[in-house]
This record gives sequence, structure tokens and C-alpha cells, in this order.
Amino acid sequence: MRATVSKSAPPAFSRQGNAVATTGTVRAAVAPKRYGRALYLAVNIAILIFLLAPIAIVVVFALNPTPFIQFPPVGISLRWFAKFFAARDFMHALGVSLEVAALTTICATVFGASAALAIARGNLPGAQLVLATMLSPLMLPAILTGLALFQAYVLLDVGRPMWGLVAGHTLLTIPYVVRTTLAVLHNFDLRLEEAARNLGASPARTFFEVTLPLIKPGVLAGAIFAFIVSFDQFPVSLFLVSPGSETLPIVLFNYLKFDLDGTIGAASVVSILLALLVVIALDRTVGLRTYVKL
Amino acid sequence: MSSAARINGLAFLVLPSALLFALFFFLPIGLMAVMSLLTGNPVVAPHVDFTARHYARIINDPYYLEVIWTTIRIGLWTTLIALVIGYPLAHWMARIKSRAGHALLLMAVLTPMLTGIVVRTFAWMALLSDKGVVNQTLISSGLISQPLKLMYNETGIIIGLVHIYVPFMVLTLTGVIGRIDERLEQAAENLGASPARAFLEVTLPLSLPGILAGSLLVFALSISAYVTPILLGGFQIMTLPILIYQQISANFNIGFAAALGMVLLVVSLVLVIAYNRVLGLVSGQHGLQ
Repeated sequence: MRATVSKSAPPAFSRQGNAVATTGTVRAAVAPKRYGRALYLAVNIAILIFLLAPIAIVVVFALNPTPFIQFPPVGISLRWFAKFFAARDFMHALGVSLEVAALTTICATVFGASAALAIARGNLPGAQLVLATMLSPLMLPAILTGLALFQAYVLLDVGRPMWGLVAGHTLLTIPYVVRTTLAVLHNFDLRLEEAARNLGASPARTFFEVTLPLIKPGVLAGAIFAFIVSFDQFPVSLFLVSPGSETLPIVLFNYLKFDLDGTIGAASVVSILLALLVVIALDRTVGLRTYVKL
Repeated sequence: MSSAARINGLAFLVLPSALLFALFFFLPIGLMAVMSLLTGNPVVAPHVDFTARHYARIINDPYYLEVIWTTIRIGLWTTLIALVIGYPLAHWMARIKSRAGHALLLMAVLTPMLTGIVVRTFAWMALLSDKGVVNQTLISSGLISQPLKLMYNETGIIIGLVHIYVPFMVLTLTGVIGRIDERLEQAAENLGASPARAFLEVTLPLSLPGILAGSLLVFALSISAYVTPILLGGFQIMTLPILIYQQISANFNIGFAAALGMVLLVVSLVLVIAYNRVLGLVSGQHGLQ
């Protein structure tokens, strides 16, 4: 209620309008107000620097030719990228990560989008409980999901198969797909489906030709999320990867324990670029605002 | 009403996920709870009994209590600093008028969030090590002669964790601050309050639920972190998640690891339920939606 009221207030009502409304008596307070505003911006910009500087540093470090951290940087080279892409263990890990992320994305998208449809449209008894269940992996520390799955696999004596890892990742990424798909389903005009039905389309045809295309952006955004979350996933992988087919974050982590050279910077830049691509893709597909809800 | 009678075909689409969750989530967590109460692995060992000894070990050994306390202490500092840093940014995000400005701020918050945790921890290692960016800059500018001890201690862990979890604080707070009617603040100012006083007496109290929810979330996340405490702590500092993994990887003590896991599980559940309750109260609906 409140939010709609404040949003519909004309923008002129705020700051500028305020300044106009304040008369002579308050004029003395304008100067401190300006300082306050400057301080507010300065603090916020400092915080933004804190947030973004580490990422910038990684990029600088990856491009700097010296084998140790040097600041300010002495030059620009791509030697660490060359080393990263030539290193067999990194490339193998990158392959494993991409494979796991691709499989996870497919599973999480199919499972999550179906579950979201069932929750929004199936008239399920206890739909709220089902929804809470589907979102619960986000609520629990991932390290516990990893531990629990590891113990289950040990007890069932199944070893450490790839499907075990993909199942763990799928569990962690389904919540994103459920959430993004539900967001679209909630804004869905039901009359479109009714119109299709009234015009003689079968329920199946209505589903494939009306419902599915309309929820596609939400499903797509969920899939993108699933991919990046799986690609960067650490705690579950820590417990579930089998030796010899570790994912990239695990290999980077093991490397970081002993070494701190530019190769890891190059590897990081590759994964940062991927994250940026995802943010831009999300913004393009459905807009970022939908996903800010935690 | 008889909603059960109106179940339609789409309802069955929940089955694949339900099955996956039953087999790969609830069953394993149930098994973990059982394992934490057993004397051994029932698949391998022939005689297995119920026991509370794993839990007794946690409670009776000062070492494990110290580990739990370290975890909590790191979590509390991380939460406090994330709140102090996150609040101004959240306020700006909630109040900024320009759409492009809002989008840019959102990107600035989401990009670190979507960058892998190992990568971000590496970035802090490059910044905070003895020969890292911060120390090199301070030494070359003549401000210090000896490098500051910024990592391989709790300070380093807290700095890294704050950076990783501050976006969660910002996003939670932005949601709550955005709901506060800006005109309340303006009314206070028009009645003669300074902007600072209007903020302290109007906005801040109204955003308390957001502060509480964001703090619960960041605390829950930081006590279950593994990568950052182990790398920025340089294997010197033991926290609960590190201890859990060590029990599996080095000692292969599944029962004890399960008991430690149950401790973390219960604490996290309590925190997350509280988080949802608080946000649910603010938004007038269920917090999970």
C-alpha cells in the first residue's frame, strides 16, 4: 500500500520541491545540508569502491606481467591468459565445470519450471508448503547439503559419480528457476489462456502455444542463474567431486593454497566476465529488478 | 474449500522435483541426523548402537566450544560491519530517482555477488597479503615500514566475509527502506528537523525490521562460510565448517561430522526462520514469496 503511494508521488515533490517549499528561516540550514549531501555521496562512493575494487584488482593482476603481485602494475601482457589456457589441469577443470553446469541447467530448468507451474496452476493443496520446500536449499548452508549428500553416497556405497554432483547442483539451483518462473506466472494474464481455449485450442495446444512462450523469459532467467550458480558452486562440489575430475573452483582453491601468481588472476577474469555476461543477459531478458528479492 | 477436488493435470508437474528433493535432500539430511546418533557406519560395522557421545564430545571438549565461539565471533563482526557498510548504499539504492542510476547501483551490487567465492577470496589475498596491494601502497608511500598483518588472522577473514555478504545486506535493506514513505522524512524536515535528525528519528526506526532481517541473513551466511575463512585465515583459524570438512577429509569421522553438521543445521534453521518471520511481518505476507 505504502510503496504504491510513494511511487506515485510526483518526483518534483522530493528534494527540489522541498528546497522551494523551505523559506527564509531555513535558508541558513541549506549550507550544512549541502555538506551532508556531499558526505552521503562520498560515503556511498567509498562503499562502491570497496565492493568493486577487489574485482578490478583481479583484472589488473591478470594483465600484469610480473609473476608476483605488483602495484602499481608495470605493464600489460596476456601471458597469464596464455598460461591458463595452456594448462591441462585448468582446462580439464574448466571442461568439467562447463559440463556439470550445462547438465545442472537442463535438470534445474525442467524440474524447477515444472514445479513452478504446478505451484501456480495446479491447485495443489499446501502449495505454500511446496514452495517453501522448493526454496529451502537456499536457506540451508550449502556445506550441509554437501555433507549430507556425501554421507548418503557413502552409506549407499555409490562412490562419487558425476550424476551425484549434478544432483547436488540441481538441488541448489532449482530455487532460482522456481522463483523466476513464478515471478512471471504471477504477472500472467489468465484471460490469454481462456481466449485460446474459447477459440477452440486443446489444453495441450494452449499450453505450448500460449503459456510456454509467455513464461519463457522467467524460465530463461532461471536457467541463466542456474548456470552461473552451478559454475561457481563450491561447498557441495568440495564434498562430491571425484579426484581427477574436479570442477574449476575446486582446482582454483587447491592452487590458491600454495600459489598466488597471475594464472589464477586470468582464471578469475574468465569467471568474472562470465558473471558480467550473466548480469547483462538477465537485464536484457527480463530486467534485473525481478531478481533483487531475496 | 474443496481445492483438492479441483486439482488439475498441471499439479503432477511437481512430482519430478518432489522426488528429487525427497531422495537427494530430505533423505540425506535425515541420514545425517541418524548418523550423528550412531556409534559407527551401519553399512560396514555389524554392531551399531545409538549414542549421544558425538554431541557429548562437542559440549565437553573446550576445543570444540572454542571453535564454535570463534565462528560466532567472526559472524558477529562480519554482520556488524556489513550493516554499517550496507546501510548507506541500501538507502541510496532505495531513494535514487534516476532509473539508470538505480540499474548501475544494482549491477555494482550484483556483479560481486555473481562472481565466484574463490575468485573474490583470491582478490582479497592479492590485496591483503604482506606483499599485497594495500601493504605495497602503504610502504611505498612511507606511511608504514613493516607490512601490516592483514590476513592469516581473523581481521582478514572478516574483511573477506564482509565483502562477500554485504550485497545480501544491501538487497534486504533496500527492500525495507524502499517501503518507507519518503514523505514522512520530508514532513519531519519541513517541521524543522535536520536531515540527520529526520533520518535518525524517522527512517532508521522504521527500517529496524530490515536491519534485523539483513543481520540474521548475513550472520547465517558467514557462520557457514568455508572458502574465505580457510584461505584468508591461512589454515590457522578453525571455524565450524572447516572443522566439519576436516572431520570428513582427514579423520573420516562421519558420525562426529554429522553431529557438528546438526549443530550448524539447527542454528541456521533458527536464523532463517527468524529472517522470514521478520520480512514476512514487514511485507505483510509470507517472507519466502
